[in-house]
Amino acid sequence: MNHTTTEILNKYEMYFSASHRAVLKNRGHAIVEDRREGDYIYDLDGKRYIDCISSLSIHNLGRRPAAIVEELRRAIQETDQGNFPMISEEKATLAEKISRFVPAKLECTVFSVIRGESIDFACKLARGSTGRKELLAVDGSWFGQTGFAMSLSDREDREMYGPLIPNVGQLPFGDIEAARKMITKTTAAVFIEPVQAENNCRQAGREYLQSLGKFCAKKGALLILDETQSGMGRTGKKFAFEESGIIPDVLVIGEALGAGVFPIAATVFTQRLNRFMNAHPMIHLSTFGGSDLGCRVAQKALEEYERLKPWDNAARAGKKLREGLEILSNSHPDTIKSLDGRGLLLSIDMGTADTALAFCRAAAEKGLLVCPGDVARCSVVFRPSLLISEQTVVEILQAVSDALAVM
Amino acid sequence: MSQNEKKHIVQVFSRHINSGQVKYLKAGHLDVLETQRQSVRFIDPVSGRVMIDCFTSAGCFNVGRGNPVIKKAMEEALETLDMGTSTLISVHKVALAEKLASIAPADLNKVLFASGGGDAIDCAIKLARGATGRSHIISTVKAYHGHTGFALSANGKEHYRKYCEPLMPQFSFVPFNDLEAARRAVTDSTAAIIIEPVQGEAGIFVAKEEYLRGLRHLCDEKNIILIFDEIQTGFGRTGKFFACEHSGVIPDILAMAKSIGGGIFPNGAVLYRDRNILVDFVGCNPQFHPTYTGGSDLGCLISLKVIDYIMDNNLPERAARNGKKLKGALEKLRLENPKIIREVRGIGMMVGIEYIHEFLGPMMSDALAKNGIFAAYSGNAPQVMRFMLPITAADEDVDEVIQAIGRSVESMKMLLPIALPAAKIPGVLKLLNSERVQTVVFNWIRSLEDFFSRFNRK
Repeated sequence: MNHTTTEILNKYEMYFSASHRAVLKNRGHAIVEDRREGDYIYDLDGKRYIDCISSLSIHNLGRRPAAIVEELRRAIQETDQGNFPMISEEKATLAEKISRFVPAKLECTVFSVIRGESIDFACKLARGSTGRKELLAVDGSWFGQTGFAMSLSDREDREMYGPLIPNVGQLPFGDIEAARKMITKTTAAVFIEPVQAENNCRQAGREYLQSLGKFCAKKGALLILDETQSGMGRTGKKFAFEESGIIPDVLVIGEALGAGVFPIAATVFTQRLNRFMNAHPMIHLSTFGGSDLGCRVAQKALEEYERLKPWDNAARAGKKLREGLEILSNSHPDTIKSLDGRGLLLSIDMGTADTALAFCRAAAEKGLLVCPGDVARCSVVFRPSLLISEQTVVEILQAVSDALAVM
Repeated sequence: MSQNEKKHIVQVFSRHINSGQVKYLKAGHLDVLETQRQSVRFIDPVSGRVMIDCFTSAGCFNVGRGNPVIKKAMEEALETLDMGTSTLISVHKVALAEKLASIAPADLNKVLFASGGGDAIDCAIKLARGATGRSHIISTVKAYHGHTGFALSANGKEHYRKYCEPLMPQFSFVPFNDLEAARRAVTDSTAAIIIEPVQGEAGIFVAKEEYLRGLRHLCDEKNIILIFDEIQTGFGRTGKFFACEHSGVIPDILAMAKSIGGGIFPNGAVLYRDRNILVDFVGCNPQFHPTYTGGSDLGCLISLKVIDYIMDNNLPERAARNGKKLKGALEKLRLENPKIIREVRGIGMMVGIEYIHEFLGPMMSDALAKNGIFAAYSGNAPQVMRFMLPITAADEDVDEVIQAIGRSVESMKMLLPIALPAAKIPGVLKLLNSERVQTVVFNWIRSLEDFFSRFNRK
């Protein structure tokens, strides 16, 4: 294909919007994504970038992981997405594999194609199985774009879409006493991301998560963890909640399940909660969720996750990256206000949204793609492939250092 | 595949996914596995029975199952691509957008991507509410639209809503094809009217052209956004690429999904008109509905291939022709069997038959399955059987379907001398029409069948 970057960007502007192109330009990302392999992507002009977006924590095993791409290639010769309401070996096998991948208590799965859909289902499961209405989430959350997910998220633009889902409340993040009071016998569920990727990678501490677990258990509410961005090895463990010692009633596994090769996500929950779904089958449907091809890809991805244990590298490489960022942060106290996150989900606070954008621009110039957070727009998030080499970590730090130098 | 191998799969599915679903499927003889998926058919690996797929995942397989052209495109794409980065621009995203804009009618040439049907509807309603600054959404009774938060709030069927409430306020529901009802429902705060040009899940109700024109006129008059949900009707299903082309009514927002993925790769899109009110909103809020898996590079490449395939092979025309034939044959069947079939409805290859009683739905699914037809009764309307085979179907395939439906009706007649008089006893009809009773009874019948077939083999 012979396209020039300008031609593509102009067309993008025509069919999508000029302002979105401007947003990207402001971030230094008005490029055309072309070749991609491992830790890197290349734009149409051949410039190489380290991918620290990973399509928002989807490409956890790097770009185009060979074994998984190969599995999709094989699978399309043998099957297709299948009829969604039907029983299939692909769905059954993947659900069983997921149940072995997560703590034993979480045995049942409902598939979806995006985080939002997984969260929306979790909300419906919570209301249906408890017979209660109230859904609580902590401030600073970002669960997705669909109706329930948006209703629970902490975003400036929510007022623009009219009245959203009622009976949704907000817990002040980290405030154990408030949680004790606000989680009651009318609460259906409490939603939290163990690491708020879009909110400067703020971490829910061990004590806080344990308290939420305790209050929920006491009042009969469900504790629902969204590990879309923190799970599948990103924080240095399979799932971030492992560090707290608690096990949620419902776990949302995001798009990293398809390793960037196929859209698939999952909501995983206990057999006790599935009693409700077994009694009311077919009240929640997903045409593309649980596609047989997607199930094949995700099965292979789970095998690769188990084989490669990318959480080990995420812990190791994450430690190096964090140490390096700490040094840079100390030497640039006026630009970098703080650093948070763990494993390969790290974020620096640049004070203002403009500074964050200026940094993204400078970084892109130096061959590093990073995005500002969607909640804390003054933050810049680092989420590379979990399999990045030590050399790439060095390159990231060099690019950050170079970017800071020109700001 | 042996009975035991299947039993194991069903057990794992029941334990880790849903046992209620297994019972529901068993009741209608729909608990078959699908192997060798090709064109309009698949094979039940246990019985070896060849089945014609008349459900097609509610309209996902317009280009046929395992379409070799689409598969080849995917194979080639896998040499260089993955899903891409949702926040970045790519050649494939732009190419699909350009193609969609070029085939859509009038000024429906602005594009947003979505991960699937529900997400596309959520996006459409957000756009309408955001752009107008108003909240009230008018939907139709029995409308489907999907299961995510906004879509479910616009879903007109109690069955899907009741355990999830309260849903979003400011949604109201008016009878389908009733223009006056829509007019009466409009208030000062009405943002949009959302409608399926053909209600699919509700039981194949085709919107009358004057109804759609009336809605367009009403929306123009009151400055309301008109949204068409073409998730099932798009991509050639009704005999035109988009169903709105029949009436010439151009919606302000058009949502699509399902067949856009070619039966292989999930994708979805929302087109909106080049009108200030919409364009300005998106201009001010370009990231109002980013999608993380919709509009992926692999997805866009496949969708582009699907559109080319449909156009190059004149599939909408074929859908119109074969649909007419199918509908005509079913209409004849209705005249012969007025005690079983109440009505035949549809347009293009989106045809439904409505039975006199709801309980006939699962019975007919069962009879059809035995005659090599996979057709699901819809959860929204069990008395209606939908026939939505791939629009690539050859003339002979359609003939085969027609004959099999005829045979199924004949075989069902054997059971009716018991069921129909029973239905006249007060209370019994209600019992027969209850989904739970059907599930129990039909599972019981299935167990008896299994027992006797095993007995016979011995």
